[in-house]
Amino acid sequence: MKLDPDQIREKLGIGADKVYGVIGEFDDPHELVHAGRKIREMGYTKLDAMTPFPVHGIDDAIGIPYSKLGWIVIPVSLAGTATAALLIWYVGAIQDKFVIGGKPLFDFTFSIPVMFELTILFTAFATFMGMWALNGLPRLYHPSLNYKNSHRASDDRFLLVIEADDPNFDAQKSAEHLRSVGAGDVEVVEG
Amino acid sequence: MSAHTDNYQLESARWATGRNVLFFAALVCVIGCVAGYLQDPARFFHSYLIAFCYTAAVGLGAFFFVMVQFLSGSAWSVTVRRIMENIMYTLPFGALLFIPLAFGLKDIYSWTNPSVIPHEPSMSGKLWWLHENFFIARTYIYFALWSLWVFSIYRQSTKQDTEKSIRQMHIASRWSAPGLFLVVAVGTLAAYDWLMTLEPTWYSTIFGLYFLAGGALTFMSIVYLVAVGFRRNGILTHSITLEHYHDLGKWMFALTAFYTYIAFSQYILIWYANIPEETQFFRHRMGGSWLYVALSLPFIRFVIPFFTLLCRPAKRNFGILTFIAIWSVAVEYVDLYWVVMPMYSPNGPHISWIDFATLGATLSLCGLAFWSRFRAHKLVPVGDLRLEQSLHFENA
Repeated sequence: MKLDPDQIREKLGIGADKVYGVIGEFDDPHELVHAGRKIREMGYTKLDAMTPFPVHGIDDAIGIPYSKLGWIVIPVSLAGTATAALLIWYVGAIQDKFVIGGKPLFDFTFSIPVMFELTILFTAFATFMGMWALNGLPRLYHPSLNYKNSHRASDDRFLLVIEADDPNFDAQKSAEHLRSVGAGDVEVVEG
Repeated sequence: MSAHTDNYQLESARWATGRNVLFFAALVCVIGCVAGYLQDPARFFHSYLIAFCYTAAVGLGAFFFVMVQFLSGSAWSVTVRRIMENIMYTLPFGALLFIPLAFGLKDIYSWTNPSVIPHEPSMSGKLWWLHENFFIARTYIYFALWSLWVFSIYRQSTKQDTEKSIRQMHIASRWSAPGLFLVVAVGTLAAYDWLMTLEPTWYSTIFGLYFLAGGALTFMSIVYLVAVGFRRNGILTHSITLEHYHDLGKWMFALTAFYTYIAFSQYILIWYANIPEETQFFRHRMGGSWLYVALSLPFIRFVIPFFTLLCRPAKRNFGILTFIAIWSVAVEYVDLYWVVMPMYSPNGPHISWIDFATLGATLSLCGLAFWSRFRAHKLVPVGDLRLEQSLHFENA
């Protein structure tokens, strides 16, 4: 089978004819947070920020909701707790009824350490995998890499993105808006 | 950035009101203690031991956390650090609060009567340690060591208010590193002496941490309650923000888990080994209606506070945090009560007004020492170089 790059691009919604959004560049985190808040007040909802380190207050400024990861993690954690209890109960009190050290066949006292450990293990898995799933990882390509200064988002620049699927998006106007809140270098980036 | 600034000096009228309330409470409670002693000395001394250990545990928790703030160089805590330091300042006053106990050792500890001590091999190595004068001397050595550190660190911190130099921070950090050892090692010995020797044949090496972990949680809850009390009265409203309360909530959550970890570790090892000298602790504390107290402890000390504080919005909600803080402060007393009182009334708890008088007395006397500091010094360490950073602190 021959891979057709155009077909793949079409499927992923990327390519030179598509627009990912407008990216503006800032010199320091405070400017980014200020600009982000102003842009959001203009009515934009699909915003993103790329920064070399976590910037406090940016989530709130550009309206990124609090992560839903916790709602994935808690049921899996409790499943871990239950798995450990059921496993110890089934193996010790149903399958192989050995009295060890004069202890009862099943007791929460000796199950709790394992219940605790399995809770932690399941929690770690759910957190890690849930984070990957919610972020759409692994991902080999991201349109923001088409921005000429994208590498500086891991060094000394703070990028603010207005994404093209924002209902208010208009390449010309949005670029103008970013300049008006103080972005140094503004570019329309292809998808 | 912020246009608002707080008044960092407590108004003297407000300070006087607080002092009068505490002074009145102390007066009433001390009279109550004297009456309790005249009515039933054995009951009074047991109650007083709980109250004394309660305030000492809070003081030790404060001592630990103030030093941790200096060593970690944390910025978030700067605006609440003076509250922590002023609670730490009450620790040395434990030496005064201990005086009544020194006269009641015979009423509390069975080892003071050699004829009662069971002649068991496990006791032979302990007899030299369990001696009344040596016991009192040890307690004063503990307090002397702690006081030296507490006053030295406190002095540096308040000196920084006027000097505004990094030098005081460095000196306080140098005191803090060995100080942490002092909290845990000497605190463990103190817990062994004051509480573990209630059962002279019993031993549990983790018991010191059990005592300190409970005290640390109570301390964090009290810091929160003091800060919220200030907030309600319009004091430091711009300096201690929701972000700081969120962090105090995280600490309350973490210490709840830590306490449970220690308490359960102690229980499971004793349960598993099933050796008579060790199991007696739980046997005595599950006798009669004490059983219900023992069975409720996992729920009141872990399940309720842990699951209440688990999600982030709960730690940013004043109502929920205040509830859990008051809850934690109360259950610490229930916990200590459960450790001490089965020695006095083996068949179950009998709550008496003497319990309230003794706890009120130690709390209000420590409260006076705590409150007196707010007149002598600013409400926040104004000379700390990280204050500005702390004022603008935000949780990620």
